[in-house]
Amino acid sequence: MSQTDGPTIGRRGVLAGGAALSMYASTAEAARIRYVTANNNPYDILDPHQVFDIGRIAIRLNMYDALVRWVDNPAKLDLWLADKVEISADGMTYVFTLRPNVKFHDGSALTAADVVYSMERILGLKKGAYGLFSDVVKPGSTKALDALHVQFTLTKPFAVFMAVLSELWVVNSKVVQSHVKDGDWGAEWLTRNEAGSGGYRLRRFDPAIGFQCERFEAHFMPWGPGAIDEADFRVSMETATRVLGMIKGEFNTTDGYMPAEQVERMKASGNVWFKEAESIRTFYFIINHSKAPLNDINMRRALCCMFDYDGFNNNILGGTVVRNPGIIPNPMWGAPKDLKGYSYDIDKAKWYLSKVTEKLRPIQIGAMAGYPQSEQAAQMLQAGAAKAGLEIKVVAEPYTTIAPKLDDPDRAHDLIPLWRSAYFADPHNWTGYLFNSRNFKGGNASFYKNPRIDELTDQALVITDQEKRRVLYEEASRILVDEAVGLFVNNTKFYGPYSKSVKSVRFCPIGDTQDIRWIQMNS
Amino acid sequence: MLRRLSRDRALLTGLVIVTLLVLAAIFAAPLSNFPGHVTGFDPSQRLRPPGETYWLGTDRMGADIYSRLLFGARLTILISVSATAVAVLIGVPMGLVAGYYDRWFSDLMMRVSDVFLAVPQIVLAIAIAQTLGPAIQNVILALSATYWPFWTRVVYAETRSLRNEVFIEAAIAMGASPLRVMVLHVLPSIASSIIVRTTIGMGATILAAASLGFLGLGAPPPTPEWGRMIAESREFLPQAWWYATAPGLAILLVVMGFNLLGDGLRDTLDPRIRRGS
Amino acid sequence: MRLLALALRRCLWMPPTLLGLTLIVFSVSHIIPADPARVLAGENAPYEQVEALRRKFGLDKPLPEQFVHYVSDVVHGNMGISLYTQRPVADDLVERLPATVELALFAIVLAVLLGLPLGVVSALRRNSLLDHVVRVITIAGLAMAAFWLAMLLQLLFSMHLNLTPVQGRINGWGPDPITGFYTLDALIRGDGETFFTALRYLTLPMLTLAIPAMATIVRFTRAGVLNVMRSQFVFYQAAMGLPRRVVIWKYILRAALIGTLTQIGLVFGNLLAGAVVVETVFSWPGLGTYAYNSILQSDYNAIMGFTLFTGSVFIGMNLLVDIAQAVLDPRGR
Repeated sequence: MSQTDGPTIGRRGVLAGGAALSMYASTAEAARIRYVTANNNPYDILDPHQVFDIGRIAIRLNMYDALVRWVDNPAKLDLWLADKVEISADGMTYVFTLRPNVKFHDGSALTAADVVYSMERILGLKKGAYGLFSDVVKPGSTKALDALHVQFTLTKPFAVFMAVLSELWVVNSKVVQSHVKDGDWGAEWLTRNEAGSGGYRLRRFDPAIGFQCERFEAHFMPWGPGAIDEADFRVSMETATRVLGMIKGEFNTTDGYMPAEQVERMKASGNVWFKEAESIRTFYFIINHSKAPLNDINMRRALCCMFDYDGFNNNILGGTVVRNPGIIPNPMWGAPKDLKGYSYDIDKAKWYLSKVTEKLRPIQIGAMAGYPQSEQAAQMLQAGAAKAGLEIKVVAEPYTTIAPKLDDPDRAHDLIPLWRSAYFADPHNWTGYLFNSRNFKGGNASFYKNPRIDELTDQALVITDQEKRRVLYEEASRILVDEAVGLFVNNTKFYGPYSKSVKSVRFCPIGDTQDIRWIQMNS
Repeated sequence: MLRRLSRDRALLTGLVIVTLLVLAAIFAAPLSNFPGHVTGFDPSQRLRPPGETYWLGTDRMGADIYSRLLFGARLTILISVSATAVAVLIGVPMGLVAGYYDRWFSDLMMRVSDVFLAVPQIVLAIAIAQTLGPAIQNVILALSATYWPFWTRVVYAETRSLRNEVFIEAAIAMGASPLRVMVLHVLPSIASSIIVRTTIGMGATILAAASLGFLGLGAPPPTPEWGRMIAESREFLPQAWWYATAPGLAILLVVMGFNLLGDGLRDTLDPRIRRGS
Repeated sequence: MRLLALALRRCLWMPPTLLGLTLIVFSVSHIIPADPARVLAGENAPYEQVEALRRKFGLDKPLPEQFVHYVSDVVHGNMGISLYTQRPVADDLVERLPATVELALFAIVLAVLLGLPLGVVSALRRNSLLDHVVRVITIAGLAMAAFWLAMLLQLLFSMHLNLTPVQGRINGWGPDPITGFYTLDALIRGDGETFFTALRYLTLPMLTLAIPAMATIVRFTRAGVLNVMRSQFVFYQAAMGLPRRVVIWKYILRAALIGTLTQIGLVFGNLLAGAVVVETVFSWPGLGTYAYNSILQSDYNAIMGFTLFTGSVFIGMNLLVDIAQAVLDPRGR
C-alpha cells in the first residue's frame, strides 16, 4: 500500500543488505559490488525536506548528510558533518564547527551557508520534519558565522534539539537555488533530483521502479573493504514477490517485519540469513479520551484486560514481537524496567466494567486497512470484549482517511491500533509528543490531558541532563499505564533478511539497516 | 415451462447453484462447524490446512474458513440483491419515462445515463466506495449508483419500440393516463427483458462487490466477505493455498450460477433476443 | 452523408458528456472525508502547516469555485498538480500510459487470436464435445474474479513452477524509452534478452486480462456465426449446391466476423477498466495502479485526471464502434 507520510502509523521500515551478483562480476572492469533492496513502499519523492517517514528514509540516509547521525542499537547520536558543538549555558544557542573539506556530489564545498539554507528551506516549505523545528527555530535566526561555523538560536531551551537535527539534511544551496520556480524552494526539481553530499549519489530514478545510486568516493567518511559500489532500491509491494526474490537471490535484502511464516520460509531455503534486533517501534491502541465512556478510567482499564496479549504476540505474530507494557519501547531509556502492564483477564475486565459510571455503548475501532496487524489486533480486542459482554465494532479505513480525523476529537475513532516508530531516539518521541496536551491537533491524538504529564514532559524538554530526564519520563510512563491512557501491546522485533553475500550489517532503530554505507559484502 | 427447463441444462445448472446459495445462506448456522467463527477464532489454530476438523482450513486468526464461507453467502446475497434492487428502482422508471415520452427530458435522461456509462463501472464504484468509507451499505450504494444506467438503457429501447404498438395506442385512445399505460401496459410487456437483465446484473454486482472487498473498500474485518478473505490470504501465499482457493471458487460458482440462469431465462422467456450481448 | 451526420451528432455530444463526467467525478472526489492536505503534510505536521498546504492547492475555496477553476484549467490542457507526486497530472498519466497500453494490446491480441477461431469452430460444430468444453470455459471465464484468477496464476506459474515473475514489469530498470513499450523498445535496439524478460513479466497480467476478454469474443463470434447459419440466405446458398467450405468461408464467416470485430473496441475499453484491479495485483506500473493509489491517497486531481482520460477513451471507442457498425452493417440499428 502506498501511503504518504504515515510512517509511524503502520509504516513498516525497510532495510538493506547486500550481494555482488556474479553476472556483473564477469565484466572486464574490477568486480563492482552491487546491492539490491526490495522496498514495500514507493520512493516517489526524493526531496529530503518534503518527506519525513521511515518508508523512504533510504533516500535521506544514503544521499544526504546532516550535522549528526544515529548509529547502532541502542541508538546513539554521532557528530557527522559537524566536528564539534558548543551549547550555551542557557541551552538556547548552539554553535557547530563543520568538518573541513566536505564535498557535495558536484564537487563544490559544503559550507555553513548550505546548513543555513537547508534550515530556512525546511521552515519555508513547511513540510516533512518542519514540525520538529517550527516551535523553537524562527526563520532568519540561523547564522553562518563563517564558512565552517553555524549558529542556531532557539526561542526556548529544547532538550531534544540535537536529536532532531538528524533530520536537518543539508542540500547544496547553489544547485537548489538555481532550480527555484515561483518561490517553491526548488521543490519541484528536488522531488526528482538530488543535491546532497551523502555516501551515494543518484544515478537513476523512476517513481514506479525506485532509485539507483553509486558510491561517492570523495565522501568525507573513509570507505572500508567490501563497501557497496552500486545500490538499487526497488519498489515491490507484494510480500510474496519480495520473499521469492530473496530466496532466488534477486534481492539482497527486504523489509524486516514479515509474518513469521515468511521468515521461516526464507530460513528454510538456506539462501537467506537474518539479523535479529529488538527495535524501538511500539504497537498500541490510541484511546480517544474525549468520548464517554472512554474518559472513565475503569472503562479504559477494562479494555486493557480484554486484549489477549499472549495470543496476539505469540500466536498471531508468532513471537516476532515482545510484550511492551508501556508506550516507551523497552530498550529505550526512560522506560521503567519494572513496569507492570495489564494482562488478559476477562473476569477482571467484567469487574472494571461494572464500576464504570459513564453510560456504556458499543465502542468503535478504526483499524488501518491494508495493515494486517492493525486489523488483526482490532479483531483480537473485539473477540475479548465480546467475552466480557462489551460490543465493539471494527471499521477498516486507509490511513489517509484516519489521519485527518486525528485532529478532531468528534470525528476520531474511539480506538486506533497503530505503531509509533522511532523518528529520533528520545523518550519524547513516545511521551511528550503523544500525550502532552499542548499537542492536540498534532501528535496527541488521544485528547488526553493530565497536568502532571504536561508538567513532566515540559520539564524534560528544558533540562538536558539525561539522568534527570530519565526520572521524569519513568514517572510519566507509570502514570500512562496506571491510568490506562492507551492500550499498549508490543515492541517490534526486527528480522532483517540478507543474502549470503552480505557479510555484516549495522542495525540502528532509526532506519534499521538502510544506511548502507555500514554494510560489508563478501567480495 | 418445466419441460423446457429440464431440457435446458444451462438454465437448470444455474437454478441449482442459485438455490444452493440461498440454502447455504439460510442454513448457515446449522450447516457450519464453528458458527462462532464469524467474529470468534482460536489463535492457536491459525493457518491450518484443510482436514477433519477444519474442512477448508483456517485463516490468519485461526477461524474456520468453511464456516465463514457459509456466513459470507448471506452477505453476498444481501449486497447483490439490495444493490440490484436499488439500481432497478432508479433505472427502470427512468427508462420508462424517457422511452414513453419524446421530449427534451428524454434526451437529457439518456445523456445522463450515458455519462455514467462513460466511466468504467469499477472505477466509479471504487471512487464512491472510498468516498463513503468501507461499509456494506456503502458498497451497496456505490454499486447501485454505477449500475442503474444498464436498466435505463434496456427499458428505454424496449419502451421506444412498444410506443407505436396497437395495444398501447388503443390504451391511450381509451383515455388511460400515461402512468397507467406505463405501469399496466408497457411494464408487463418488457418484464422479461428486465428479469433477464437483473439476473445477469446480480452476477456482475457480486463480482464488483468482491473486487471492492478485495481492494479493502468493502466490509470491515472480521466480516466474512469473500473478496476480503482472498485479500487477507495474499500475505500467506504460497504456503496457505487453501486460504484463497475456497472463497474464490465460491465466487466463481455463484456468478456462474447467475449468468447461466440469466442466459437460460433469456432463451426461455424471450426467444427473440439472441445470446451474445 | 448520413454517416457524417451521425458522427457529427455524436461528436457534438462529447463535450457535454465530458463536462457531466467531470462534474460527477468532481462531486465524488471532493466529498471524500479524507483530507489530502493533512495526508500530504504528514502525520507529524502541525496544524498551521496543513492549513498552508490547503491554501496552496486552493482546497480552502468554495467547491463551485474549485470546479470552475478546474474545468477552465482542463480546457487549457492543464489537469492540475497531483497532490501526491507533486507533478502535473498530465505528465504522470503520459508516463504511465505506455505500460497500460502495452499490456492491454498484448491481452487483446491474445484474446482475439484465441477467441475468434474458438468461437467459429464452436459454432460450426455445435453441440460437439469441443463446443461444450469451449462453452464451459467461456462461462467460467466470465464468472471469475480477475484478482482471484491473477492470484491462481501467480500461485501456479510463479510460486510453484517458478516460470514467471510474481509481479512487476521488468527486473529493475527498463530499456531507455523510445516508445515506452518495453518489448518494442528492446526489439528496436535488438536487445533480445530484455525483450524476453519483458515478455516473461507480461505473461501473467496479460493472461489475466485476456481470459475474460477471450470469453466475450468467443460468445460474440459463436452467436454471430450461428445467427448467419440460421438465416434464409445461407440456407438458400447451400440449397443452390455451393460446397460447404465455400459457404462457410465466403458467406458465414464474413458476415459473422464483421459483427464481432466491431465489438473488439468495446472489449478493449473494458480491458482498461479491468486494468485497475489487475495492475494492482501485479504491481504493474500503469494507469490502473496510478488510479488506485490516487484514490487511496485522496489525490483529487489525479483521480479526476484518470477518470476523465479513461472516460474520453471510452466515449471515443463507443463512437468508433458505432461508426464502424454503421459502415459495415447498412441496415443500421
